[in-house]
Amino acid sequence: MSISLEHLVKSYGNDTVIRDFSDVVPDGSLTALLGPSGSGKSTLLKMIAGLESLDGGRIVLHGRDVTNVPARHRNIGFCFQDYAPFYQLSVFENVAYGLRVRKMPKDQIAREVEEMLRLVRLDAFADRFPRQLSGGQRQRMALARALAIKPDVLLLDEPFAALDAQVGAELRLWVRSLQRELGITTILVTHNQSEAMEVADRVVIMNNGQIEQVGVPAEVYDRPSSDFVHSFLGPTTYLEGRPLRPHDVELVSVTDGQSGIITDVIRLGFEVRVVVTLADGSSVWAQLTHDDAQYRNPSIGESVGVRRRVVR
Amino acid sequence: MQRSPLWLRYAVIAWVFTLVGVPLIFLFDKAGAPGWSAIWSALHNSATDHAIGLTFRVALVAVPLNTIVGIGAALWIVRHPSRLSQLVDRIIDVPLAISPIIIGLMLELAYAHTGWLGRPLAALGIKIIFSFPGIVMACLFVSLPMVSRQLIPLLREIGNNQELTASSLGAGPIRIFMTITLRSIMWATAYGVSLTLARVLGEYGAVLIVSGNITGVTQTLTLDIGNNFDNYNAYQGFVGASVLATTSVVILLILGLARHRERKRHEHLARAPR
Amino acid sequence: MSFYSLIVLIPLAALVSSAFTNGWGAFWRAATQVEALDAYELTIGCAVLGALINAVSGLGIAWVLARDAFWGKAVLNALIDLPFALPTVVAGVTFYTLYGPHSPVHLTLTGTWVGITVAVVFVTLPFSVRSVQPVIETMSFTAEAAAATLGASNTRIFRTITLPTLLPAIVTGAGLAFARAMGEYGSVVFISNNLPFKTQVASSYIYSLSSAGDNIGAAAAAVMMMVIALVALTGISVASRRLAKGL
Repeated sequence: MSISLEHLVKSYGNDTVIRDFSDVVPDGSLTALLGPSGSGKSTLLKMIAGLESLDGGRIVLHGRDVTNVPARHRNIGFCFQDYAPFYQLSVFENVAYGLRVRKMPKDQIAREVEEMLRLVRLDAFADRFPRQLSGGQRQRMALARALAIKPDVLLLDEPFAALDAQVGAELRLWVRSLQRELGITTILVTHNQSEAMEVADRVVIMNNGQIEQVGVPAEVYDRPSSDFVHSFLGPTTYLEGRPLRPHDVELVSVTDGQSGIITDVIRLGFEVRVVVTLADGSSVWAQLTHDDAQYRNPSIGESVGVRRRVVR
Repeated sequence: MQRSPLWLRYAVIAWVFTLVGVPLIFLFDKAGAPGWSAIWSALHNSATDHAIGLTFRVALVAVPLNTIVGIGAALWIVRHPSRLSQLVDRIIDVPLAISPIIIGLMLELAYAHTGWLGRPLAALGIKIIFSFPGIVMACLFVSLPMVSRQLIPLLREIGNNQELTASSLGAGPIRIFMTITLRSIMWATAYGVSLTLARVLGEYGAVLIVSGNITGVTQTLTLDIGNNFDNYNAYQGFVGASVLATTSVVILLILGLARHRERKRHEHLARAPR
Repeated sequence: MSFYSLIVLIPLAALVSSAFTNGWGAFWRAATQVEALDAYELTIGCAVLGALINAVSGLGIAWVLARDAFWGKAVLNALIDLPFALPTVVAGVTFYTLYGPHSPVHLTLTGTWVGITVAVVFVTLPFSVRSVQPVIETMSFTAEAAAATLGASNTRIFRTITLPTLLPAIVTGAGLAFARAMGEYGSVVFISNNLPFKTQVASSYIYSLSSAGDNIGAAAAAVMMMVIALVALTGISVASRRLAKGL
């Protein structure tokens, strides 16, 4: 089920939140919508789901124009950042909700819900209530609830933002393998670049309601199309006005590169950051591995040269 | 939390007891002292008997009507903000600040057979002032904000993510309301409905004007009490008054229960997920 | 929306237009009759006094309810709401009998402004308590604790830290109490004995005009009262917002 987003526009009063957004999400892929807070990505996701109106453009799901179709008829699975559990219903009833709407016979509902709960490893919690679940469990319940209706598309709005680092990391990988197994077209909204890089087949980087760059993770990281993308996706330092990765900054002798003085050495365990202040007052930082640092032994006050590392 | 000084606690208890408790006890004593048979015959006095029936019928119409409108208005104001709904939000609280006599006067001016809307309605044969519909209207006016005031801040706080999710799962607006919204607002609505009932049963000034105070026809229980007192039938009035006082106490209990349950619901949600 | 206009807006418009049926002059004359002025004076006076009494006592009650736990607290808490749930006429006849000619406590307050004020204090009790109570319950005590470490006495802490925090809520509660007291009828008409020029409250005055058939005069007085109330409430709400901002 591919998704075609054509020239989408959305404004709130005088504020244009989404400007001329166009993209085609391939069938079966996991696309990450990555961008800083306020870039419009959650709004875009809700527009795809039909939970927000459009001010311009078209949304086509697998050839079917759904722009004017209300949310309940789009067959889309949506997960909110706060999981939006139906607090007054049991875990079982939460997952069964969409099936009851579709008037599925009772025994079939029971079977499908149990299967879903087993898939998300919540089968022991069927009779509990959301308030008795942990954050990670509520997240899995929200997923099960969305997947139970066998949606054509799965939309996740910052699904891991509210979880502890450890829980989030595990859940991330699990969602990834689940998505691969089910083959369902998925869009995941996040502001966390490592999450996007780890999980997605393709990344759409957004800023101010517009697309900055689209590509596979490796591509956008290695060949960022703008300074914004460069600094958003990874640590960035500037040499001669151009952005580069700290691990691409090489410390050489004063004559072989731009001259400067080491003003700070920060040892972070496996990596060491060396801050060099150049003659013009700007500073660059270089990232050395633990072993390199041991060998090179940088010290504050030392005169060095810096240059962009050339890849052989 | 620190405790408050002991003298303050005792002063507060004494103050509230004297101001509120004593009159209540006094009333029940006055009504109950002559014994059950006296109470029984007082209640079966034809005027009082009719008044009780009328009050009951008014409540039966006004309370559900106010509840439905109150819930609808709250949902409209919070979920679909617009210039119009903002305006309604602001005028919702107005009835609380206006004297009941003035309310009665307003309604009479508008709906008496010489009034603005009264004239065309009279032509249709519909009588509002000095009859049942007028009384219901007066009660609606004074109890209008009760339900909405409870629900508006609550709906704002809850947010609509649950409802949006239900929508994405295929549910239509009615189903969403019945299965999701209603359960979250249940106890707050119960609180508002109880307050509505209290206002409807207890309205005096507005109904006085609007009903014409015709014994045996348009006299509610509150008017009956006032009438008895003016005619030196004090005991008769006391019995009626203690009937209403009893319902007030029952309503208070319900209010306490609703407040307690609502707090529990709130606490459960406030526990952050791990 | 149409529901609201039917019930609230149209009658309101009818009232205002009736008041001015005979023009500004007639309106002004009707609204400023001596009897009317006496009624306004009495009503406003008792309302202000009642609101002040309740502001102070309400603060104390809310304080105890919010911070203490003791046997019977739930009863106390429920009693606070009684004046709100109780029909005004029930309060009215009870007070008349309790503090009237054959008073069991030998206190005759009928026909006096004192009696009216007592009734007003009863009826508006819940407003002042319930406005302040939630604020006390959710107040953080770190500011007070900091003041204590700096050597401030309890009284000083209360005066300089606690009270300013609570002041907006107290003022709001007093405002609600005032508005309610201004329009009160059922609970005060009995104990006041309703003597024109002396112990007739504004609502009672309006009623007497209306039942005598002078709807225009009644409407004029009513509009006057509403304007006074509106001005007072606006002033109170502005004051309350200023106080809140000052923090």
